[in-house]
Amino acid sequence: MDLIKSVINTLASPTILFTLIIVTFFFIFPLNDWFYRWNKRLKLDSFWTNRGGIKMFIILLVFFAFGLFDENFRLIVLKPDNVPIVGLIFLVAFFTWLSMKQAVDNDVHIENNENVNEYSDPDDKVLTWPDLVYIELIALVLCTVLLIVWSIGLQAPLEEPANPTLSPNPAKAPWYFLGLQEMLVYFDPWIAGVLFPSLMIVGLMAIPYLDTNKKGVGYYSFKQRMMAVSLYMFGWLVLWVLLIIIGTFLRGPNWNFFGPFEYWDLHKLQPLTNINLSEYVYIIWFSTGMPDNILLREIWGILLILGYFLILPPLFAKTWLKNLYNRLGNFRYSVFIILILFALSMPIKMYLRWMVNLKYIVAIPEYFFNI
Amino acid sequence: MSKSEKKKKESILLRLGNSQVWKSIIRSGVPRDRRGRMLSVLNSVFLHLHPVRMPKHAVKLKYTWCMGGLSFYIFLVLTITGILLMFYYRPTIEYAYTDMIDLREQVPLGIMREIHRWGAHLMVITVWLHMFRVFMTGSYKSPREFNWVVGVMLLTLTLLLSFTGYLLPWDQLAIWAITVGTNMARATPFLGHEGPGAALLSIGDINLVHAGSDVRFALLGGRFVGEAALLRFYVLHCIGLPFIIVIFMAVHFWRIRKDGGISTPL
Amino acid sequence: MDDQKHLEHEQNKPEDAERSTENPEEMKQSEENSTEMKIAEKKEIEPKKPEVPKKKLEKGPTKKRASIGKGSILVEPIKRRSFFSWLTLAWVAFTAATGTFFGMMLRFMFPNVLFEPKQTFKAGYPDDYTIGEVTTSLKEKYGVWIIRDTEHIYALSVVCTHLGCTPNWLQNERKFKCPCHGSGFRKSGINFEGPAPRPLERYKIVLADDGQILIDKTKKFAYEKGQWSDSESYLVV
Repeated sequence: MDLIKSVINTLASPTILFTLIIVTFFFIFPLNDWFYRWNKRLKLDSFWTNRGGIKMFIILLVFFAFGLFDENFRLIVLKPDNVPIVGLIFLVAFFTWLSMKQAVDNDVHIENNENVNEYSDPDDKVLTWPDLVYIELIALVLCTVLLIVWSIGLQAPLEEPANPTLSPNPAKAPWYFLGLQEMLVYFDPWIAGVLFPSLMIVGLMAIPYLDTNKKGVGYYSFKQRMMAVSLYMFGWLVLWVLLIIIGTFLRGPNWNFFGPFEYWDLHKLQPLTNINLSEYVYIIWFSTGMPDNILLREIWGILLILGYFLILPPLFAKTWLKNLYNRLGNFRYSVFIILILFALSMPIKMYLRWMVNLKYIVAIPEYFFNI
Repeated sequence: MSKSEKKKKESILLRLGNSQVWKSIIRSGVPRDRRGRMLSVLNSVFLHLHPVRMPKHAVKLKYTWCMGGLSFYIFLVLTITGILLMFYYRPTIEYAYTDMIDLREQVPLGIMREIHRWGAHLMVITVWLHMFRVFMTGSYKSPREFNWVVGVMLLTLTLLLSFTGYLLPWDQLAIWAITVGTNMARATPFLGHEGPGAALLSIGDINLVHAGSDVRFALLGGRFVGEAALLRFYVLHCIGLPFIIVIFMAVHFWRIRKDGGISTPL
Repeated sequence: MDDQKHLEHEQNKPEDAERSTENPEEMKQSEENSTEMKIAEKKEIEPKKPEVPKKKLEKGPTKKRASIGKGSILVEPIKRRSFFSWLTLAWVAFTAATGTFFGMMLRFMFPNVLFEPKQTFKAGYPDDYTIGEVTTSLKEKYGVWIIRDTEHIYALSVVCTHLGCTPNWLQNERKFKCPCHGSGFRKSGINFEGPAPRPLERYKIVLADDGQILIDKTKKFAYEKGQWSDSESYLVV
């Protein structure tokens, strides 16, 4: 028992967990044909069968059942405000499976030049009353029952009265903002709190204008829109849901990382001495001491950032995103690649923080400008 | 029941269905045949959100997951329970917290707050899943691009509604979540007094953007999360944001029909 | 009686009834609803070929509008006569009025008087504080830590510079640690871990006439701006 727990605790440490997930992710949700071939070869598409689904469900269930015997895990899971997250995990897993199963199913139909499962004769329609109205009614009744049972069974959380001078430890945002709160650890507030949320909203809105692929309307499909689906899955499952899970289960007092079965020790010591890039350059590498001029001090970070956003896009356009560039054209490609680069800056910065304790790439606290 | 009795009973129902009162309310009478069923959808202000007939896959749970409809339904539930809660809740530092306890202990059927709170969580989840479904079926593609944009707005507004509601119990959870949330506003470029660029906006020595004049101040009505902030969030939560979200919802539903109804394979 | 017969007829032969609704000629005989029904049927047919009629509709009106614009006498002569047309003026006026209105709405959100707790207070005598210790007793009431080192006394703000949570003083580790995002500060207020971008702020601290320490929270001193050398930011003991 304890051995399993300690293994899971070790696996849950951010560097290992994140690396594992990022490495395997695009084999499960292949980005291009190369990944797709490996996906087939490794038989990873067997997730999306009935048997695979049941297996996944059992694994999740066993994990939570096993976890409930652990005191520390129980404390987190049974906290009233965390109940929706456990529900969310199961629901997201189920619906990901459901959509992918239908998508893979349709892919086979399309390959065989058959009609997709959703296809029906346009002249052969059903009446809204009663066919749809009754389904809606049943859904509403079930939803109401669920809500009432949930409300009777679990009291809504209410903590001590507000005290502006005493932050609870850990102080967590509402669970659906835990992804944002996690970002706030790695980025300055103006990036994590203002720029990234705005970019997320804009990016989501831009999806229909960037995805010029005409195929795949009105039915579940994967192979026809491989890249779009996989990128969306990455943003949604890894950069949003996973960060929420990390924020809920792995962040403890003083916002330290804890394994899911680890005791939340208030005094867990985690040396987190963070160093700015300019300090790395001038103090550790050049050992000259920091220059007084702000621009001179931060020039390396600024160059790095400019390079990231100005050199990488044309470089990609010439190399492995050539086809995409030709398909999307100049403007669409630029918007697309900038959004992707912003999304990728998130895991990049996280790794830099974990590996080399990098704090800011550009640090100008005098003007509240830190990147 | 004998045959004649059955016939008699039916005819009472039929007469009821043909009576002036019934017909004045529901024009098309009891939907018994194809025509009646079509009319019942067409003539009802609520049901005519739907088309009269739809492709077969559109009524399959496997395809739609019913998440959009459930989101709307939960919104209605939240509106109703929210109105009920407003009868007891006073948005002041003095009373907010005690009113919460009263809602649980002194008010009969004291699960209204629970339904409201859990419903809010559930709505966030259903809205996410609805978006997920729409993405996976490619339903955002032409000609439905704009409706997807409206949908993203609705998602944002849902989160904002949930966020503003979070402060109202005035407990530890509430004020710290809101402190953290609004401090991000403080860091807005040019508009927040600790954001990049704010220091550049000044006339002589006087800073134009300071703690008393930035976006955070506009949100909180003060420099701290206090009485004014509670009132502002209360008004936003109960009137401001619902007003906006209803407008967007109307556009969203209207556009579903105008953009060709539920997405279908060609 | 006729009505009843009609109903029975519908009940007994549902297929017939169905056909009757779809047959336009028989529709005339039924009631008012029938006209609406026709519209419904038409609507139903349209979506099957959505593209053709839509395009026609779009082209139609725009052409018409263009022809009206060209032929109108009102627009062109005025353009020739004056630099700006009345239309421009109207638009400018409209924009200005709308802008002012929204400006007023925005200004409305910033009241002139704030009801906030008092920002200056007395914090006892310098001798009340031990050298080398952080005094946390005033944190709850006034939101400051008072720290005395060998030469100075200074008042640190309890607001984390990251997102405004309140850090805790951890006596064993000799540091301030913010529970929200894990920022850490040394006793002096200098940040050394976590995401906090800059050190904690210090408040104005002076001796009052009666020898007590007077702290004014309205005046802040930030390290990164070099303000900690200001003589009001510390008290020499």
